[in-house]
Amino acid sequence: MSTPAAVVWQKNPDLAWREIDDETVIISPHDSVMHELNDTGSFLWKSIDGKKSAAELAELLVENYQVAPDVALSDAQALLEEMSSRKLVVTVSATGGVSP
Amino acid sequence: MSTPLVNSGHGPRQQFKLSIGSVTFGLQMSDRKLFGAASVRYRAFTDAARPPIKIALNDGALPAGAAADFTYEFEGAALRAFPSEIRFDGVRNQYALDSLLRVLLSWKLLDRRGFLLHAATVVRDGKAYIFTGRSGAGKSTVASLSPEGSVLTDEISLLRREHGMWRAYGTPFWGEFRAAGLNISAPVAGVFRLVQAAENHLAPLRPLAILRALLPNVLFFSAEAEANRRLLEILSQAATEIAGYNLAFRKNPTFWEVFPR
Repeated sequence: MSTPAAVVWQKNPDLAWREIDDETVIISPHDSVMHELNDTGSFLWKSIDGKKSAAELAELLVENYQVAPDVALSDAQALLEEMSSRKLVVTVSATGGVSP
Repeated sequence: MSTPLVNSGHGPRQQFKLSIGSVTFGLQMSDRKLFGAASVRYRAFTDAARPPIKIALNDGALPAGAAADFTYEFEGAALRAFPSEIRFDGVRNQYALDSLLRVLLSWKLLDRRGFLLHAATVVRDGKAYIFTGRSGAGKSTVASLSPEGSVLTDEISLLRREHGMWRAYGTPFWGEFRAAGLNISAPVAGVFRLVQAAENHLAPLRPLAILRALLPNVLFFSAEAEANRRLLEILSQAATEIAGYNLAFRKNPTFWEVFPR
């Protein structure tokens, strides 16, 4: 993944989203496109708060899904890249003490 | 719907009240022909018991310095909602007036836990059956195959949550029936996603599937994030509280036999 380690992830503030049936439905108002996230994607989505890096999000996957750290990091990076390509998440600089 | 409305001289302002889904509007206009056309067009929806939301129609100058809370433009016609008043400008035919009313209603329903849906609604045994689907799915067909029911609309349904339950209202917005729906309401029996098939069959849907059925058919015209959040909250509640089904149906009235009694 090309994203530097000093980068943290946040939800695109222009979106509307809700949890239903353990999945997350996200609406992009500008193009009226509906996106759906499965259980793991929903967990990651809820954990994205503008403060955590991909590695920190992967740690949460390890704690909650009992997966190996390298698998969790790979999965987290893949999910974040997928969400980024759909403009669901954006990266922000971690400088300024937002995260260690 | 191409009858010209704005084609005569102006006189004193008149107000035409209409109520759709218990949302009351007062259309203020100075054109006598326009007033007459609106009076005929919406005559079944004039039981306005509440103070109306006032709409100034083709009224010229805009409020000085005021910023609109919501705007929408359609083929030269413009809706602008200011804190003090709502303006419809450039309205030249019934189609434009109808379109702006739909847009305004969809926006106003946000504060009333309601929404507009591309759907036919038929009331049978006191309950509203909402048939939704994309263009060509069979909304008007289902409505025409319901001789024992009252068709609230064959095109655009209005759903509102009131006192903890969902009600469907008729609207004056027409489809192939080329006539306004009935100005009545009824508690919602369910939402039915239409699929034309060789056999009639009803399959229940989970809330997520109901939301999937609703979302592409909702009429909503704001790209503003907060408005869309409120809409999604309302739709999620509807998907959770209203029974939803896939309805595979043959093109005859026998499809009514598969409904739960």
